[in-house]
Amino acid sequence: MDTQQAVADAAQHEANEEGVESRRDGSNKITLGPGDSLDGKLNYNGHVTIQGQAQGEFRVTGNFEVGSGATVKALIEGSNVTIKGDVEGMLTARDKLTLGKNAKLSGDVTVKRLQIEDGASLNGHVRMGSFEQSSGS
Amino acid sequence: MTENETSVVMLGPRDRLIGELYIEGNLRVSGTLEGQIEATGDVDVTEAATVKATVTGREVNVSGQVNGAVTASKKLVIGRGGSIVGDVRVPRLIMQDGASLSGNVSMGPKVAAEFAQAAAAEPTPAPVGVAVAVVQSATDGETAQEKAKPKKR
Repeated sequence: MDTQQAVADAAQHEANEEGVESRRDGSNKITLGPGDSLDGKLNYNGHVTIQGQAQGEFRVTGNFEVGSGATVKALIEGSNVTIKGDVEGMLTARDKLTLGKNAKLSGDVTVKRLQIEDGASLNGHVRMGSFEQSSGS
Repeated sequence: MTENETSVVMLGPRDRLIGELYIEGNLRVSGTLEGQIEATGDVDVTEAATVKATVTGREVNVSGQVNGAVTASKKLVIGRGGSIVGDVRVPRLIMQDGASLSGNVSMGPKVAAEFAQAAAAEPTPAPVGVAVAVVQSATDGETAQEKAKPKKR
């Protein structure tokens, strides 16, 4: 009896996992840990979170997050961009850019919405609203 | 703080000011303002306000429309309905979701240090004004000094 139950449980788990994966297909996710680094160009259909170091050019269809302690020198494009670490480079957020309280961002920014928490630092040109025009440049 | 009596200037929704304004104290704008404003204290731009001016203050709160450069020596807060079109120079910036900003933003410790330097160096750019005051004081003493005083920059 016990073994049968175990098998049944396992089958259920598999089904669940498949379900989760199929949902994930719509929104893939990459996470670079604190010790990880990335240098290069990335076009990604999903969300990206960086907690380590990254350099290059990143265009993602989903959200882009730079964790606290992370250092990114790159061109960044994403729909929601959240920054809690150090970022240097051009940044485009198709929807919203959020600068956390320890965020440091230097570079030109094109966003639809912008939220800056107290303690965050921003140096650069900000363009808001007229997003369609800027995507061509 | 008692030595410079903090005056509060309020411009109501139907008030309009076109020109240059210098206040030793706080300013609260709900009306229309065009030109140049500088306050030693805090500047509040409320939701009803339309400001087409360069704005300088210690702590600047924007909930209305501002068209012009904004400088705050302490911090700038852009509220939910606030909108700034112009360059911003502040040591600290808080921006709520829904606020709008278009322009160059310079901030952080560097800017804060510049403000500290500017405050320390404030007496030195006076020579021009002092020279004028000295020349004029030969003719009429007190009024010339009074004239020279508010022109800090």
